[in-house]
Amino acid sequence: MYKILLSIIILSSNTVLAMDGMHDHGSHNHKDHQAEKYYVDGSKTKITDKMFSTFSAGLSNTQIVIVDVQGMVCDFCARGIEKTFNDDKDVKKVQVNLEKGKVLIAYAMNKKVDLDEIKNIFLSNGQTATGIIVRKV
Amino acid sequence: MGIYNTFITILLLITVSELAFSRPISWSGGSTIMYQSNSMYSSYYYHYSPTYKYSVGAEYINDRHFNDQYVNLKTTYLLNRKNTKASQGNLYLTGGISTKSKDSFFYGVHGDWETRRVFTSFSYINKRTHKKNYTENEFKLGVAPYLGEYNDLHTWVMVKTKKDTIKNNWETYPFVKFFKGDYLLEVGAKNSHWDIHYMFRF
Repeated sequence: MYKILLSIIILSSNTVLAMDGMHDHGSHNHKDHQAEKYYVDGSKTKITDKMFSTFSAGLSNTQIVIVDVQGMVCDFCARGIEKTFNDDKDVKKVQVNLEKGKVLIAYAMNKKVDLDEIKNIFLSNGQTATGIIVRKV
Repeated sequence: MGIYNTFITILLLITVSELAFSRPISWSGGSTIMYQSNSMYSSYYYHYSPTYKYSVGAEYINDRHFNDQYVNLKTTYLLNRKNTKASQGNLYLTGGISTKSKDSFFYGVHGDWETRRVFTSFSYINKRTHKKNYTENEFKLGVAPYLGEYNDLHTWVMVKTKKDTIKNNWETYPFVKFFKGDYLLEVGAKNSHWDIHYMFRF
């Protein structure tokens, strides 16, 4: 059993550097940064009109950030994300959709939305943001 | 054990099994309180997660098998996490020391892989105490009969099989897991023993 335990640790250590969102930014080269920018490209991030209108009902003068998330398969996975955004005074509303793997965040219009900051919030909660777009209402 | 058998065993551990402690690390800055009771012991465990990669905590154990009570200082480290659109897999290292004696400690590995429909976990823990050294192995496999949305009541129908080197036999029994919001409850029964796990996060 000790051999099995040791093997698992070695296998995992070899793969940990390749994990999404858990890498050391200090060790990146320029090519890596280009890939990272593409990584959060929101060109494929879409939601249905019904989902958007339901979320944005009653909101005005608002920026709605739509985030595609990987690894958000249960309530516990998303709980920290919701709590973090709800603690932000500029956030008006947060909604998690497990089925679609999306999080919608409504910011005040005067808030300067920083996509890298949003991506890092997901990373700091152990999730991976793969696409982010911003729509205004 | 030959290399081939070791490799197959590792594959089985990684792909067929899952985690025994249902998310042993919380979100960054999150705290967790757990209560667990089974045929061997009951415990109260609090842990804090400075980041999503590790947790530190203390666990009070009422060991019914050895008629003993003590506190474990415990840490868990997320060795690897793999997120995909439909799944999440985790591999954790855990370890700790007991306040009972300076030669009492434990260490182990546990992992999980889950989608919204399927859950699997495993754990292997080696415990060294002033009375006896032993290991515990546990596997869980579960299916969600329906897919709940965020904040719904989530239900899992599961099977657990476990073995420790004290009893030295595998025990397999069904249990159910419920969670809603910040609360989780697992309830199972094997012969006349209840197996209960309650968890609250904040």
